[in-house]
Amino acid sequence: MKVFEINGNTLSLALFADVTNSKELLDSMQAGTLDPEVAFLNASLIPDVFPVLAAAHRTLISKSRESLTTRTLHSELVYNYSGSKHITESLKRCGISESSSYVLAARFNASPDEMKAVEKLINGKEIDLDEFEGRADQAQIQKHYKISGPELGISTLADAITCRIAARDAL
Amino acid sequence: MEIDPKPDSENAALVLVKQGAEARVFESVFAGKRSIIKERFSKKYRHPTLDSKLTLKRLNAEARCMTKARRLGVLTPVLYAVDPVIHTLTFEYVEGPSVKDVFLGIGSTGVFQERLTDIATQIGDAIGKLHDGGLVHGDLTTSNMLIRNGTNKLVLIDFGLSFTSTLPEDKAVDLYVLERALISMHSSCGNVMDLILAAYKKSSKQWSSTLNKLAQVRQRGRKRTMVG
Repeated sequence: MKVFEINGNTLSLALFADVTNSKELLDSMQAGTLDPEVAFLNASLIPDVFPVLAAAHRTLISKSRESLTTRTLHSELVYNYSGSKHITESLKRCGISESSSYVLAARFNASPDEMKAVEKLINGKEIDLDEFEGRADQAQIQKHYKISGPELGISTLADAITCRIAARDAL
Repeated sequence: MEIDPKPDSENAALVLVKQGAEARVFESVFAGKRSIIKERFSKKYRHPTLDSKLTLKRLNAEARCMTKARRLGVLTPVLYAVDPVIHTLTFEYVEGPSVKDVFLGIGSTGVFQERLTDIATQIGDAIGKLHDGGLVHGDLTTSNMLIRNGTNKLVLIDFGLSFTSTLPEDKAVDLYVLERALISMHSSCGNVMDLILAAYKKSSKQWSSTLNKLAQVRQRGRKRTMVG
């Protein structure tokens, strides 16, 4: 688990591999009974932690202006990470599915106890955030974010994703 | 002009870097990384409705053009955030000197032909890629080009005047502006423009129509004569 500071808030991230209970997690999330509330992201689309922080920054700004697009703070994080304006599609692709086994859990302003509770929710092996790069699915990322060959020649995947997250509403 | 206090706590560490006619540029930190914030301020002499519309349109256009340039394979700073409410763009802080400073240094310390050729080639190549992708930078000067420390790669900045166009006219004027800037600032460097155009020819498939047009633009200047 690692904690990042953004705009005076914190974002706690915990990465899990070999997760076996995605279906349960998905069900309780959709029923709104997750306790504590937490965001689950499809970690194969995350080559580095920075784009997640950029998405978190956006999320916190919208929250401070009471202008969230989705229903909760944590679903907004997943939506923002997608870099797309299509909410359902974003949550489907960048959130978890029934078969997900590689998951990033994220919670804003979490207490240590809350993060322990989050870790208990997930049946899987917690791994270090350094594993992002090696475990990311480059083909899937390129397809989802429409990253062309020439762009990859000059940019890392993480930078390309960050640009798309930031520029979404300008496009 | 008054400066509004920023509501965000992270902006507490703002340092003003530059003030222009359209925007202020600050240095700050974004999620732990050194960053640059460009704020387009409102013009009090404009009607408020028109003002906010224009400001927002230009803010979005700049973000769009910066990311489009990257998609075309031209390095620009990574965009971190766009804030349509307080009219700011936040992007990566690129460590390194501007091409202007490098060229002025070359002029005074004797010519490093190799360095000069490398930079000119990168400039020509980058502009060629932009133009073939239908993007016109609009403000190509040597102070809007940085050389990143370590990699020595060219990074284009300030897409505030950029637009999309496929007209040879617009591309030629883009090159002409650069040519004038080079002549007035860097004549001691020799003929950099020839090096740039040589690289441009290799990089742009449509070089011939653009360079033909450039010859015409040189005759008449940047503005088109609107007689008759």
